[in-house]
Amino acid sequence: MSSETTTGATQPARPDVERLHLAGLHAPTDAVLSVRDLNVRFNSENGAVHAVRGVDFDLMPGKTLGIVGESGSGKSVTSLAIMGLLPPTAEVSGSVRLNGRELLGLSDKEMCKYRGNDLAMVFQDPLSSLTPVFTVGTQIVEALTIHHPGMSRAAKEARAVELLAMVGIPSPKDRLKAFPHEFSGGMRQRVMIAIAIANNPRVLIADEPTTALDVTIQAQVLEVLHTAQEETGAAVVMITHDLGVVAGMADDIMVMYAGKPVETGAVDDIYYNPRMPYTMGLLGAVPRVDVAEKSSLVPIEGMPPNLLHAPTGCSFAPRCPLASDACLDGEPALAPVGGEAGHAAACIKSGSLGGSVDVHEVFAAPPVPVSRFDAIPREERSTVLELTDVRKHFPLTRGALIKRRIGTVKAVDGLSFDIREGECFSIVGESGSGKTTTLLEIMEFHPDQDGEVVIGGLSNKQAADTKTKARMRRELQMVFQDPTGALDPRFTVYEVLAEPLQNAGMDRGAIRKRIMELMQLVGLQPDHVNRFPNQFSGGQRQRIGIARALAVNPKLVVLDEPVSALDVSVQAGVINLLDHLRAELGLSYLLVAHDLSVVRHISNRVAVMYLGKIVEIGAVDRVFDNPRHPYTRALLSAIPVPDPQLERTRERIILQGDLPSPLQAPKGCNFATRCPVFAALPPAGQEKCLTLEPPLEPASAGTDQQFACFFPDGELDEDMLVAHEPADQHAP
Amino acid sequence: MLKYLAKRGITYVVMIFLTTSAGYFLAVSSLKPALLEQERIPRPTPEQVANSMRLKGLDPDLNPWERYVDWLTGILTRWDWGRSPNGAYINAEFGDRVWISTRLFLASIILTLVIGVALGVYSAARQYKFQDRVITSYSYLAYIVPAPIAYFLVQLGAININETVGERIFFVTGISTPGLAPGWAQFVDMLAHYVVPTVAITLVGWGAYQIAQRQYLLDNVNADFVRTARAKGLTRNQAIARHALRVSFIPVAQSIAFTIPAIFAGGFFAEKIFAWPGVGSWSIDAISLQDVNAATATLAYGSVIFALGAILADFATTLVDPRVRVQ
Repeated sequence: MSSETTTGATQPARPDVERLHLAGLHAPTDAVLSVRDLNVRFNSENGAVHAVRGVDFDLMPGKTLGIVGESGSGKSVTSLAIMGLLPPTAEVSGSVRLNGRELLGLSDKEMCKYRGNDLAMVFQDPLSSLTPVFTVGTQIVEALTIHHPGMSRAAKEARAVELLAMVGIPSPKDRLKAFPHEFSGGMRQRVMIAIAIANNPRVLIADEPTTALDVTIQAQVLEVLHTAQEETGAAVVMITHDLGVVAGMADDIMVMYAGKPVETGAVDDIYYNPRMPYTMGLLGAVPRVDVAEKSSLVPIEGMPPNLLHAPTGCSFAPRCPLASDACLDGEPALAPVGGEAGHAAACIKSGSLGGSVDVHEVFAAPPVPVSRFDAIPREERSTVLELTDVRKHFPLTRGALIKRRIGTVKAVDGLSFDIREGECFSIVGESGSGKTTTLLEIMEFHPDQDGEVVIGGLSNKQAADTKTKARMRRELQMVFQDPTGALDPRFTVYEVLAEPLQNAGMDRGAIRKRIMELMQLVGLQPDHVNRFPNQFSGGQRQRIGIARALAVNPKLVVLDEPVSALDVSVQAGVINLLDHLRAELGLSYLLVAHDLSVVRHISNRVAVMYLGKIVEIGAVDRVFDNPRHPYTRALLSAIPVPDPQLERTRERIILQGDLPSPLQAPKGCNFATRCPVFAALPPAGQEKCLTLEPPLEPASAGTDQQFACFFPDGELDEDMLVAHEPADQHAP
Repeated sequence: MLKYLAKRGITYVVMIFLTTSAGYFLAVSSLKPALLEQERIPRPTPEQVANSMRLKGLDPDLNPWERYVDWLTGILTRWDWGRSPNGAYINAEFGDRVWISTRLFLASIILTLVIGVALGVYSAARQYKFQDRVITSYSYLAYIVPAPIAYFLVQLGAININETVGERIFFVTGISTPGLAPGWAQFVDMLAHYVVPTVAITLVGWGAYQIAQRQYLLDNVNADFVRTARAKGLTRNQAIARHALRVSFIPVAQSIAFTIPAIFAGGFFAEKIFAWPGVGSWSIDAISLQDVNAATATLAYGSVIFALGAILADFATTLVDPRVRVQ
């Protein structure tokens, strides 16, 4: 069971040896980590997959390198190859040098001297990355024991407490004895970071460390990583698909596509002056939470290439709007681009892609769709969905035979809002805030529900018979988060789309016609109707999901995280499609999303939920540009923006801790336990927040913005504000 | 923890009572020992039969409810489980047989577990290599071959050895040779009787544990937390031994506790083939001999063992898995 990082059966040919030698000579001697011509191949049933194809980079001490790319671009494989954690069947070649010592070719045992000591890693999924049967303390102490066998037990425990305190875990001494399942996701990721920095590593690799976390928790964890880097002076490799996350942290960026770096450079060069169409597309595909101006997102059509076959031309050419015949003639190498030191791009046209080129023109972003309802004032449009005081309380019980009620979980607590024709209404909030329960309550159609749900003029109070229910259901359809799970793998697309139509009693000819229409509507080829879902990409599957929802011509489509499972470039296409459909068909959307940038881009109105209640509601631009509730302000400030200069100077509100369990919710304002305003209030004000529940009140006359807070203009607590001085992080 | 176990214990006592009572009613209404008596030669008169049955507490004229009350009162007040139609006392018979069954199965259960789990770990560590293929194929074979045939093959093998050596080393049936003086000779005799059934039951039994342990360990070998452990600086083997093994043992521990009762109460093939008169063979005989009280007693024994197994499973799971520890 030895896992040896083989240098591969494919020994580098002569020119490569020379290249490596030269690269070695030219490598900066003070680089803590030098990677040269890293190649990784996996043997699959269909042949060798060349997952990483020639990655070069140097990491200077204390600096941060961001590796950005979509799924399948080889960024995680690169990090695992550096750590020597790839399965023994992977063929790794090239050179990885840590402080000048070659790591590739070392045996598993020899590699263990470096892993966890000089070279540490934080993984993506904190829920599964800790061993469930050992206490957190044991797992931290183990990291110390491996590399310092001589350390005394007391010293190790003291260090573990110190580490937990450093990553911000309250009462660290007691928490040492806690098991991972007693921690929330964000807390577990903090523990992972504590383990990683236990031995003061020189290089810390973080592989999508915040992807599985809520934005508020993401902000906390990024802050912890920042502290960890300051404390240890480690160089950080930050791997992410989110251009916002690395904007404020990284010194250098490497953009990867199809296993190869396609553009590298200093962070400002990459964000403000990209020279490779893929980088430009990625930047244009991300919606911005801080920009109100409405323009369509840049969609990158097509799919990344299959790495089974060596590309004969530029690997991005099939998706590139600028591709010409010259692009298909040999893969372009990473070449320096004019002026900026260290900026290189792998594109034969990089010279002509200066700062003045508009990415929207290059990628032919569609015009912003205009709905026929946009001209009509909101009050004059008819209401498609109205919720009045909807509640969903779950009893919390204890005991096996005789159940005692020990409390109530107020998953949804008195929700009222309406959605008008042609508008997109979004609900945002952390996980556990009651977004999904709200959707389930809307889809319930039951007279016994607490509160009234009116869909297209039909109330749930009348929905006693199946006929009314069927009518209500036709008014409202749903698109689910995971497009793969939501489609029956044994149904062809035709069968998926025909089912709701058959239910509606349509005849076969009409069904066939309608399906062809639907396929065109969502931008799929009509002759693909006999394919199965697994023959489509993720984005295409979500389009099938949208087509299924639209089949019966609903007025309202409920979108539950419709793009969160998709890659950035694909996500842009689906968002544009949703925007287009809303305008063309006059649809209304109820969108639930955790990504506030997407919400800002697509919605007209937004409600911010916290522990089952709406704390702020109103027109999206109003709420996002002028947030009144401290929670809204904290949420918005937690979202990273793909703009390095802005990110570096931005002041963030870092909320303490996680969403409280519903049992611990205070009597007055739910948010008081984490509120930055509350923390800075004089005792009299605090008393008011703790005893009285703030009602949802209009912010000012003439707007429909409402919020529930007694002290919207209160001072923020200094301890919860974090701003990094530009000089402190980015010394020249 | 104690409170929790006590709660579970009470639940199981209720369950055992219900099963046993239901079993008694089923037995008393379908088993008619009086009919067998009438096949004797010379044929007894119906009055004689009824009288003899009445003396043994098996009065066929009473209705099932009355007999149930009598039977239950006997157990609750005197711990008397009644008598067989042939006059034997269940309590005495049961005591002998439980001891025989325990002797027959205890060693092989322990061997089965240890060998099965160890081979599971060994073969998982060498997935798809030669050793893994041999061990796992054997386990599947042991699954497929009916137990009586496997026992019989082991017996033949032992006889073969005896013949080759030209001396009777192993006994293939029976518990002991009667009439030996206590001491060394008796001990050797016991071992000679013991080896063949123990080996046979172990050989057939470990396959299931080997397959389960191998599967669960392989599920965990590539788990994220094993990768974390390796990132800390453990070698792959160390990471698997320290982190994956314990997690993979959780489901195995549960299945172990539940298979023990099955072996104890259901081992009648082994008992019959090796001629060890234990509880398993008794339960089958009781039914063919229309013995109401013996059938019910073996059923009660089965449910007690099952309850013990279940409590053991809870205990084992709590021991290895902190996530289910009750506060």
